[in-house]
Amino acid sequence: MSNIVETVTPAPTLGFAFIRAIKSFALLRESTPGMVGAGLVLFWVIVAILAPLIAPFDPLATLQPMAKPGTEFVKGGTFWLGTDHLGRDILSRIIFGSQTVLFYAPLATVFAYTLGILMGLAAGYHLGWWDIVLSRISDIILSFPVLVLYIIIIATIGSSGINIIIAITFASAPGIMRIVRGLVLDLRNREYVAAAQTRGESSLYIMLVEILPNARGPLIVDACLRLGYVIITIGVLGFLGLGLPPPDPDWGGMINETRKMAMIFPHMTIFPCIAISSLILGFNLLADGLREVSLRD
Amino acid sequence: MTKTKMDHEKQGRVHPRVADLKNQFVKGQLDRREFLRTTTLLGLSAAAAYTFADTFDVELPSLISSAEAATPKKGGILRCGMQVQDMSDPAVYDWVEKSNVTRQMCEYLTITGPDNVTRPMLAEKWVPSDDLKTWTFHIRKGVMFGNGDELTADDVVVNIKRWLDPNVGSSMVGMLNTMLDEVDGKDKDGKAIKVKRMIEGSVEKVDDHTVRIHLKSPDLSIPEKMYHYPAAILHRSFAEKGANITKTPDLGTGPYTLTEYRVGEIAILKRRGGGFKYWGDDPLLDEIHYIDTGQDAAAGLAALASGQVDAIYTLDLTLLGAAQNMPGVTVHEVTTAQTGCMRIQGERAPYNDIRVRQAMQLAADNEQMLKTAHQGRGQVAENHHVCACQPDYAPLPKIARNVGKAKQLLADAGHGGGLNITCNVGNTNGQWETDQVVVLKQNLAEAGINLNVNVMPAAQYWDVWDKADFSLTVWTHRPLGTMLLGVAYRTGVPWNEAKYSSKEFDDLLTQAESTVDIDKRHKIMAKVEKRLQDDAIMIQPYFRSVMNATSDKVKGIGVHPTNYHQWNKVWIDS
Amino acid sequence: MLIMISKRIGFMILTMLVVSMLLFMLLEFSPGNVATKVLGPYSSEEARQLWLERHGYFEPLWWRYGTWLGNFVSGEFGDSVRFRVPVSEVLWPRLWNTAILGFWTFAIMIPLSLILGVLAGMREGSRLDRVISVGSIITTSVPEFASTVLLSAIFVFGLKWLPGTSSMTSGFDVKQMILPVMVLIIYDFGYVARMTRASMAEVMTTHYIRTAVLKGLPYKQVILKHALRNALIAPFTVIMLQINWLLSGVIVVEFFFAYKGFGALLLEASLNQDIFVIEACAMVAVFVAVASQTIADIGYTYLNPRIRFS
Repeated sequence: MSNIVETVTPAPTLGFAFIRAIKSFALLRESTPGMVGAGLVLFWVIVAILAPLIAPFDPLATLQPMAKPGTEFVKGGTFWLGTDHLGRDILSRIIFGSQTVLFYAPLATVFAYTLGILMGLAAGYHLGWWDIVLSRISDIILSFPVLVLYIIIIATIGSSGINIIIAITFASAPGIMRIVRGLVLDLRNREYVAAAQTRGESSLYIMLVEILPNARGPLIVDACLRLGYVIITIGVLGFLGLGLPPPDPDWGGMINETRKMAMIFPHMTIFPCIAISSLILGFNLLADGLREVSLRD
Repeated sequence: MTKTKMDHEKQGRVHPRVADLKNQFVKGQLDRREFLRTTTLLGLSAAAAYTFADTFDVELPSLISSAEAATPKKGGILRCGMQVQDMSDPAVYDWVEKSNVTRQMCEYLTITGPDNVTRPMLAEKWVPSDDLKTWTFHIRKGVMFGNGDELTADDVVVNIKRWLDPNVGSSMVGMLNTMLDEVDGKDKDGKAIKVKRMIEGSVEKVDDHTVRIHLKSPDLSIPEKMYHYPAAILHRSFAEKGANITKTPDLGTGPYTLTEYRVGEIAILKRRGGGFKYWGDDPLLDEIHYIDTGQDAAAGLAALASGQVDAIYTLDLTLLGAAQNMPGVTVHEVTTAQTGCMRIQGERAPYNDIRVRQAMQLAADNEQMLKTAHQGRGQVAENHHVCACQPDYAPLPKIARNVGKAKQLLADAGHGGGLNITCNVGNTNGQWETDQVVVLKQNLAEAGINLNVNVMPAAQYWDVWDKADFSLTVWTHRPLGTMLLGVAYRTGVPWNEAKYSSKEFDDLLTQAESTVDIDKRHKIMAKVEKRLQDDAIMIQPYFRSVMNATSDKVKGIGVHPTNYHQWNKVWIDS
Repeated sequence: MLIMISKRIGFMILTMLVVSMLLFMLLEFSPGNVATKVLGPYSSEEARQLWLERHGYFEPLWWRYGTWLGNFVSGEFGDSVRFRVPVSEVLWPRLWNTAILGFWTFAIMIPLSLILGVLAGMREGSRLDRVISVGSIITTSVPEFASTVLLSAIFVFGLKWLPGTSSMTSGFDVKQMILPVMVLIIYDFGYVARMTRASMAEVMTTHYIRTAVLKGLPYKQVILKHALRNALIAPFTVIMLQINWLLSGVIVVEFFFAYKGFGALLLEASLNQDIFVIEACAMVAVFVAVASQTIADIGYTYLNPRIRFS
């Protein structure tokens, strides 16, 4: 793992680090799977942003129950992907559902990363008691099957968007902490860290400005993979009836609501399945491409 | 059997109302079903009632289609996909699935068929007094329990007393309200409150095979209440032996015994052996297996499709289309008084303002909920929980949906700027429950009410079902409207989830329960329904049809409005 | 080695203690009422209070936890409130069923993913490598719940080849195992295959393999005799970790196919707040996780003599 850490001179500012991150994305064009992945993710991001403009119908409106794909709506328009059991246009629900998934999944990931990075920095930079306590806590959480953890938490505290984010943060932060800790252990003895210490910078400054930007490579790859898992997790919770509350479109929930009708109206279930799989595939391919590119450096 | 019943009829006393009813029927004031129902309740045997009615109406209600009228074959195993729930004491059952397993081992004093007509079972006859306050049940002779004891009046008395014992906690308390009195008692903190206790001497053993019950006020539906699912007749030693039917299956009079039982997995019932002689016609099936196919309805249908089970307990609406397209599978459907009632507790804000509740009712589009959430399978209802398929239903003037008026009422109540409320739903019966609330959400949005849909796991829903302000609870079918109103809306009864309390309603209901005259009863029922409707304590949009599906080789099976499994005549054509 | 194992056991006990304590606390704050679950939704408040008192629910939390812990250590897991039998009576058969499911999954998945991984890693960048790599990413991207729906639509309702549930009520049936095993393999084989590929690719670039090829040894022999042994060390660890994954992975599959296994039990117990079952399941999960990790480490040491544990 340590060989992927950037060994170049330190980035003086966060802004500069950001530009470098963009540059490493630019390298992606050398990897075909990476480009395909980026394309898929970008596609869904654009769909989510433009949802109100491109969705042909209101995703919540009952129009015409159980229409097959391609059916013309009497009041104009076409149900390109058909409608569900309540007569809501599936294409519009998938389009608006991308907003839901691209809101909750990254948000949960960001929370998990914030907590995981802080824990990892503290453990890896300070070592000693910080390290022992934080490492033990994450070992304990990590030794527990993740989905089991989600189910127990959600079934106990109830299901809502916030609770899903809490559960994902709680269960993912230890894994992130472990990666960050490893990276920090490698970086903490670098010259530029020593230099900053000599300058008398605070520990917080050194951790966030000197160390963190240089650990971004592996973290970005991990974040892409993790986003895929988080999307799966939200889907699984929806599938088990522990997901986001209806009627707002949510891909996992759409599959759960219509899967019983899959044998007569396969369109109701298959299209959300394709949507969720394609987005996860996008993140997985992106992660793969980024890893490939960073190894090539 | 028909012959002996007719003989009883000749010898026995016929309730004076029977003659009036016959008259009304002949004059056409009474429809055929109502005539059959009421006369059988009054003790005229079903056979006799049918004979009379058929003089005017040759069409006999047949539960078995002519195609299936082939000679029944004895033997074979019927495997039914149904949740195998945790069960012990039938008196406290809260779920029909439990009673279906028990129904094969234990029997009831009466039996109500799919046509809502109640017939004799363990009681071969019942005679009400003219004022309908005293009911005499003649217990059938020669009925044996699985342990070899004969059924006597003692067993019946012990059972009735147990149902009404507050320590048992049976829902029969609400059913047999007219056998209870309010006395001074103490709650758990020692505070003095009124508690309901059985009136001393209200159940009486006349002789070894006669039991008499005395009521405070008249009640016409006693025979039907005796077939309410917690009212299984058990051996007198049932409580002493641990009150667990799965451990003591020999304490029932039914033709089957439980040989294997694992919660969540399987319940196997086999014909009783050891020289047991069933009092009635021997059932045709050798064994009945209830196989738990999980909470997932699709898994049940998949099991039927692949031949792992021969019947499923109920066909989820979402699977109707699939089941209809399956070769070798028959779908059975029946109109019922089952419903998803979205009741409102009028105690807490914002619901304590009746204008808010009225606005909700006016904004709700009951027809659309039926059409969209339940694929139109059922009957539109009028927010008072009495179904047109129930004989005591009285039609009320239609109230049209009126969003403008709803908005006005909300503005008057100080919610002109919008109102935010939450409805709990547990999908305890199916996806249609959430769908119904989702349609309601759209309806209410038009009036400026934002409804949050709180979907919870079925198991968790039962923690809040009687506590939440606003939630959707599934109610099962009952053959009479008054029976349901008695357990669900009478002041202080345990299942009164709306916490509804109206002296006027209680009195009217008691009056309806004691009125035999059809015209008079309908007039009272109209008032009862109006009271509930006006108090706006529920959005009860429609009554739903229930369906089940079986393999074509299962014969003589249908669907009972309450999903009761009356399978003594069911057979397998292999 | 002994030190490592005893350290691991110590860690396992610590983890079990902390997890069981956390679960007790979490369930303490849960909105539901155990008595409602046991006595049914229509039970009276009075009866519920009596039940709670009789079962010691009014004792302080630490007391109840202490009692449970004492019993647990002596092998007494408590009674399930839902099934009304001792937890062990439910747990062991369910665990055994999941073990059967896991056995078949691994028996097919491991050879499959190792072969694919080795084939792909042998010649990095070849067309075969690309196909296998991209294929395994695609299958891993289809969530289990999507593949259960799609596969049962095809094989149960479309082709009518396979039964739709796997409740095994009339004894073990191989046909009922096919779909659950298939779903698990489709989701997981890609990950193991990719790990194997990476390991194989790394080995292929090492000095001694290149030397062996340059020496003119037959390519087949180089692969079978030299590369394979070293390339399979890393996947071994990954495979051991999949045992841990399986405990979560089976939940969706067992739920969908009504398979009476550990995952379904845990899901039902969580939804019903069946505390002793949850606790026992959690202990099993921690045990499996730590044990598989320990075996992975021991095996790694054994397979790779360059690593020594201090």
